[in-house]
Amino acid sequence: MAASSLDQKLRRLARSHFEDRSRRRGLLVAFEGPDGSGKTTQRKLFKTWLEAEGYEVVTTKWNSSDLIRPIIKSRKSIHVLSPLEYSLLHAADFRHRVETEILPALWDGKLVVADRFLFTGLARDAARGLDFDRVLKLYQPLLWPDMVFYFSVSARTARDRIAATRTPKFYEAGQDVTAIDEPTASYERFITRVIREYESLALIFRFITVDGERSIHDQHHEIRRLFREGEQRPWSDWNLDAVVEWLAMTGIRA
Amino acid sequence: MAGDDGDPRVKANDSRLIAIDGVSAAAIRDAARRLASSTRRRRGGVSSWGASGIFDELGVADADAGTPSMRTLLLLYAADLAFRLRWEIGPALEEGRLVIAAPYVATAVAVGRAAGLDAAWLADLFHFAPPAAEQHLIDSPSAGHSPDHEGFVELACLHAEKHQGGPTRLELMDRTRRHLSASVRRPAAG
Repeated sequence: MAASSLDQKLRRLARSHFEDRSRRRGLLVAFEGPDGSGKTTQRKLFKTWLEAEGYEVVTTKWNSSDLIRPIIKSRKSIHVLSPLEYSLLHAADFRHRVETEILPALWDGKLVVADRFLFTGLARDAARGLDFDRVLKLYQPLLWPDMVFYFSVSARTARDRIAATRTPKFYEAGQDVTAIDEPTASYERFITRVIREYESLALIFRFITVDGERSIHDQHHEIRRLFREGEQRPWSDWNLDAVVEWLAMTGIRA
Repeated sequence: MAGDDGDPRVKANDSRLIAIDGVSAAAIRDAARRLASSTRRRRGGVSSWGASGIFDELGVADADAGTPSMRTLLLLYAADLAFRLRWEIGPALEEGRLVIAAPYVATAVAVGRAAGLDAAWLADLFHFAPPAAEQHLIDSPSAGHSPDHEGFVELACLHAEKHQGGPTRLELMDRTRRHLSASVRRPAAG
């Protein structure tokens, strides 16, 4: 079968699979925000609630693939990553998780909750001075979540919450680019840049912004309500390229 | 990266980056050695694929960690190349030396194209790599049919073959060779 013919067949297959209303379609929900914004707490509460509601939930976390994470971890520990290498390795980790965790789960009709998604890479890399458009291209073919909850907090709040429990790590604090020796001070400087990038992303990509300064209870109930409003959204053709590339690789043809 | 002090009479602005690309890692390595030993310029040495150790670590990952796709492998190749440029190629060029990158960008782009990846994506991926002053294609027709586990092309083709929907290793190597031939200008005879 010619490549273009196979491509057309896989496009039809992807559409019919994800638009089939006779079964629950896979949903992708991303939680984004700076460290200390409370998104991990909310992600855990959300998952517990979803499971109680009968959803089969798969969680994926940033920089967590068994294949790439050790490579990143060993380099982070000795502070040898340049911003470009940092960016490329995290994009590789993300791509591997998309292909081995996220798309298989979505294909099986599961609900994937991503604790950080590609927007984390965009925000951090841009905050490190890399070109936004170039970084975005690293993540192509793009896979867009059905919903992105963005946890908005001030840089001061993020700093205070992190400092209350631990000292920020070297790259988390952005010490590779701030030239500030004191981790917490570096963190506040760096997270200010990251938040600025996030705020731009929230507008461009229409994130659902959650006020991370509110109580845990209030945030959780707001997320439940917003999820209920958004879960019936139709499948988006924007994700066709990513799905078709994955289908071609896996050999799924029907 | 192996290097030497070279000829101190050569001016520091005499830097030169030479790329040697091909499918066979052994043929690339041999060509790089020959070229390095024949030049009279201040040699900065040969920068080889895998200098960062990324692919060594990939090789010891558990089978359960999954098989990387071509796109993932190329992101890793780019990260490795960024390391080579930062620690090997860039400093040598700044000192006015001749550096041989073996392989460089064309090999990775060719295997990516052979796997069906978009040319524009590949061009963006390697935008940070400066163009080589010279490009040499090492064509080795038999390389695809003999075991050669040292090179990026071989590694990428072996991984691609593990994916159910992917082409065979030999198909992909042949396609890579064709893409390389089409994209890299052959050196003058002799």
